[in-house]
Amino acid sequence: MTDLPDRFEPLDPAMQPVVPVAGYPNTVRRNPARAPFRRVLTRTELTGPLDLSGKLRPGDDNLAVLAPGRMAQGQLIHVGGRVLDEDGRPVAGAIVELWQANAGGRYFHPIDQRDAPLDPDFVGNGRTRSDGEGRYGFFTIKPGAYPVPDSGRWWRPPHIHISVLGPGSLMRLVTQMYFPGDPLNGIDRILNSVPDVAARARCIAASVLPSEIEGDWLGYRHDLVLRGRHATPPL
Amino acid sequence: MKAHANAPLVPTAWATIGPFFPQTFFREGDNDLTRMAPDAPQTARGTPMWLTGRVLQEGGGPCVNAVLEAWQADSEGRFRHPRDPEWRLADPGFYGWGRAWTDAAGRFAFRTIIPGGYAEAGRPRAPHINLAIIGSGIMGRLATTVFLPGFVAEHAADPVLSTLPEALRPLLIAVEDGAGPDGARRYHLDLLLRGDAAEETPFFED
Ligand SMILES: [Fe+3]
Repeated sequence: MTDLPDRFEPLDPAMQPVVPVAGYPNTVRRNPARAPFRRVLTRTELTGPLDLSGKLRPGDDNLAVLAPGRMAQGQLIHVGGRVLDEDGRPVAGAIVELWQANAGGRYFHPIDQRDAPLDPDFVGNGRTRSDGEGRYGFFTIKPGAYPVPDSGRWWRPPHIHISVLGPGSLMRLVTQMYFPGDPLNGIDRILNSVPDVAARARCIAASVLPSEIEGDWLGYRHDLVLRGRHATPPL
Repeated sequence: MKAHANAPLVPTAWATIGPFFPQTFFREGDNDLTRMAPDAPQTARGTPMWLTGRVLQEGGGPCVNAVLEAWQADSEGRFRHPRDPEWRLADPGFYGWGRAWTDAAGRFAFRTIIPGGYAEAGRPRAPHINLAIIGSGIMGRLATTVFLPGFVAEHAADPVLSTLPEALRPLLIAVEDGAGPDGARRYHLDLLLRGDAAEETPFFED
């Protein structure tokens, strides 16, 4: 309780995506034309539910096994890391939600009507909670790439969508995680909408050497940094 | 301020939720701020209300599959969070947070109680509900604040609402709209994500 953030620095625009994104009309239709207003941060803005697990129930961290004996198709992977604040301190008890396409690059979602195979043993979403050291992890399969309709031959690289809800309204993050070494990363319009090269690189997970991980899952490590306390000295 | 062992980190870059945010993430009661859990009773304190509206995109068409997250004070203006000096007095049966999503017509609904105002740094905050919108094509989150009608003096003094040019303030004040299915008062506000300067919903920097 004493560890809750007391300062929130504004997000650095160079580290955040720039809209519009070519071939993605909703980045025009759904983004305000007017710049956002700066407001004072009072309690409503700075607080938030301390424990969301009653509402967003965790306990669903294995996407690869739908039910006993029903295993998803694809490369079995483990994606894990830590939820941290800007000082590198662990954020315990954060809700982490994950969703992704199947190995063929298709989502189990009524809106995804692409002509690619559905896997009867893969739904592709889960929810967990970071532990006392801020660690989170999911067992899943590596998602496939998929083309964006009517976008002029833009393919999304394999990626995993991640949503994090920390203990405060401003400790909120929705992001996408990419896989190291994929040639589509360098030309992906969403990843490349982030101006800063290093910020983009931080959206790409790190491979975990097989010698560092147990079990038959290929490992990826991906830390998630929420806004929050910041070690920058005061004025 | 004491020095920290770890070098500061940069917050991870946001991205859109895309068109395929799982509908299975939503459960009955997620949009009800008055319950501690989906199967818990509604709080006995305060005046129940509904907040309904539509999320609209450029041209006025519906923004489907948008996700809205709401956060507000309890009926006495308190938060169950240590940053509130009276947090131990906060309504133990009121959750204060909820998640809703828009249907094919862009409509959303929250079940809650009329929030209390509070004073902070000598300035009174009018009763309000903070909303954050995420959706396909939104590359971060769009943060705004909904106020309720009838609090004229409180609105004039509110440090967030009075940040806005006067002509835009009505865009954040919901209108009373009859009663919800359970008879509770209903307030309605449409949120236009992009449009003419006179109509586009004001959003705030986070
Ligand atoms: Fe995707």
